[in-house]
Amino acid sequence: MIRSVDFPKAVKAGAAGALAMEVVAFALGLAGIRAVDLAAELGSVLVPVDHGIGWTGGLVAHLGVGILWALFYAYFAWGRLNWRPALQGLAFSAIPAVLAILFVYPQLKLMQAGGDVVALDWKNLPDLELPTLLSILVMHAVFGLVVGAIYRRPVGYLVGHKPAGFVKTRHFDRAVDRGRGNPNGFLFATGIEGSYPTIDHGRWRRDEMDSTLHYRHWQRDFDLCRKLGITHLRYGPPLHLTFIGPGKYDWSWIDEPMEELRRFGPEPIVDLCHFGVPDWLGGLQNPELGKAMAEFAGAFAERFPWARFYTPVNEMYVCARMSGLDGNWNEQKHDDRSFVVAVCNLANASVRMTDAILKRRPDAIFVNSESSDFTQPCCPDPKIQREAQLENERRFLPLDLIFAHPLSDFMKDYVRDNGMSDKEIDRFASRKVPRRSVLGVDYYEWNERLIDTHGRVVALGELFGWYVIAKQYWDRYQRPMMYTETNRMDAADAPRWLWRQWHNVQLMRKSNVPMIGFTWYSLTDQIDWNIALTKAIGLVFPVGLFDMNRDVRTVGLAYKQLIDMWGDVPEFRNCGDVAELLR
Amino acid sequence: MAGFLSAHGYDPGPTQRPLSAGAISGIAAAIPAVAVLWLFGSLEVESRIVSLPLWATLGLGFAAMAIAGAAYGRLFGRAANHKRGGWLFGMAFGFALWAAGAVLVLPIASGGQTPAGPAAVGVALSLLVWGCATGLLIPFIHPYLHVGLESVPTKAELGPNAAASTQKRQVPQHKPK
Repeated sequence: MIRSVDFPKAVKAGAAGALAMEVVAFALGLAGIRAVDLAAELGSVLVPVDHGIGWTGGLVAHLGVGILWALFYAYFAWGRLNWRPALQGLAFSAIPAVLAILFVYPQLKLMQAGGDVVALDWKNLPDLELPTLLSILVMHAVFGLVVGAIYRRPVGYLVGHKPAGFVKTRHFDRAVDRGRGNPNGFLFATGIEGSYPTIDHGRWRRDEMDSTLHYRHWQRDFDLCRKLGITHLRYGPPLHLTFIGPGKYDWSWIDEPMEELRRFGPEPIVDLCHFGVPDWLGGLQNPELGKAMAEFAGAFAERFPWARFYTPVNEMYVCARMSGLDGNWNEQKHDDRSFVVAVCNLANASVRMTDAILKRRPDAIFVNSESSDFTQPCCPDPKIQREAQLENERRFLPLDLIFAHPLSDFMKDYVRDNGMSDKEIDRFASRKVPRRSVLGVDYYEWNERLIDTHGRVVALGELFGWYVIAKQYWDRYQRPMMYTETNRMDAADAPRWLWRQWHNVQLMRKSNVPMIGFTWYSLTDQIDWNIALTKAIGLVFPVGLFDMNRDVRTVGLAYKQLIDMWGDVPEFRNCGDVAELLR
Repeated sequence: MAGFLSAHGYDPGPTQRPLSAGAISGIAAAIPAVAVLWLFGSLEVESRIVSLPLWATLGLGFAAMAIAGAAYGRLFGRAANHKRGGWLFGMAFGFALWAAGAVLVLPIASGGQTPAGPAAVGVALSLLVWGCATGLLIPFIHPYLHVGLESVPTKAELGPNAAASTQKRQVPQHKPK
């Protein structure tokens, strides 16, 4: 699949567009302008046009053609141009207009002709007069404007609504009885992309599990993991659908998938908060976030007591930055103070969720995933140097708080200037970090950035690589590590990227850094990955081990080879670092 | 369009057989398409235009549809496996075949003769029906032709050497001057 398409919306848009064309044809007729009435033209192919059935049949056929074109627009054209939706539709309408002029209208004339064979030459081609030509163009322009105006935001849903399509457990022929797994084995992981931030100032909910069809194919998705030999799955409940109010939960979204994972594997690394919060909590600026999320984490751990691995809050830095500083998600703020409040609330939530889970499951393991960023100043310009320093200090802030790492003087000044009290700083610094806390490090090709001579931040690509950047995090926190996310947007290059990251992991292990796992993220392709879900376009990006049809990609086969090759090597089958963590 | 599909992971991948799946689907989809041609009297008209007996026209038609199906499978790649949208992609392909084949090539090849009246309707509808059926069938036929994940052979280009696969730089050779 190349696009995530909202069929009902496209059908409505196409039918409305075709009707609008008929209205325009009627209006032009009233004004004395000879316009093509496509319903009449289509209807008269089989039944005389003056017959009521002919026109009605033609209208139905025209609506059908309009719907087909709107679906075609939704699959191939929508979102390609960064224009207003109606103008995108207008631009698209040139295609059906040209085809109508060159092929369809002349052929309709042939179809209406008597006899069964005609001899064509240049002299007797169907005549197309200027008013006819112009009316076809105008009517198609109207069609395009209407379709474009109606067909927008094909993925996600209005805040307060629920997605349709969660499929209950069905009889399912599992390819593998039980997934691969050893008690102390190295974690070969993937993830189900489950982001659910709001955009459009809290009006529109993105839901990647809905967009990637996981709610429909969850049983099959888990089976695909098992087929590749995946041992662990980064996966979590859709928080906004599950945590429906203080003390109120709708577990129907997660009960059956969790039961399937418990019985057949792979083992979940439960991701409890992924870039969004329930509608009733508002956003990350809410000081009640920590308390509420602790309640949810406790309830989850109580309901699924067998779950061992948790990510309380995924990528706190990215979440706080996108919501508080870059203005893209949730509260969509653009200032340092909002960023610091978001970091503080998320870190507080993470700490309190960890404590709540530990009360129910004292041996729980916490994989604290964070994006590994690095910013390089391009030149000695003091302003650019200062900017890079801020970025390189700020990236550590959430992890500093949850891992009780002392803040640098620079960062202390920064957070104080932006509303964080010394009491709060001390509270985090005095935290006793649970022994089974893992530093999860995510890395993509754009995580290394350059501040250029104009002060712009640009992606550097893989300049230093995961090993160098992740090592900075290891040096700071000295926690067992897991490579918790990576992928490549260029599907053809993905196997190369996978193995290069794996060689990075090997080097890290050889440097005596405890490594417990590796993750290709995610199982399937993702939607709107290039724009970080900031607009509801519905474009599919081939970053998955499987495509959206659940057909394997080359990187899926490469990962299977990797797991087959390394999974039974003694030091991975019985991984000392994992054994030490689980002890 | 191929470039656009390509940008989104169009490559069918090593476990898929788009040509076979397309050819089989194309042949199967020709059955309803022929029924439409027969219903509108188009089959006889086409046979007259190409000056071939009916059975030969039919045989030629099935062969052409097998090739067209394979071409569709290859051109649309992974997108052809999409159950929800395959019928639409197939119809678009059928429309293109009609516009290119029946409207342009047939009259040129037959000295300007082209179907008209109901026969022309039948030709257009049959290709749309064929495209729709081909697009519908491929996602259901293709899984039976896939190489299973369990039995897929190890491929060197997907193994550890892949780490250097796009960096095939020559090691500099120092030549004595």
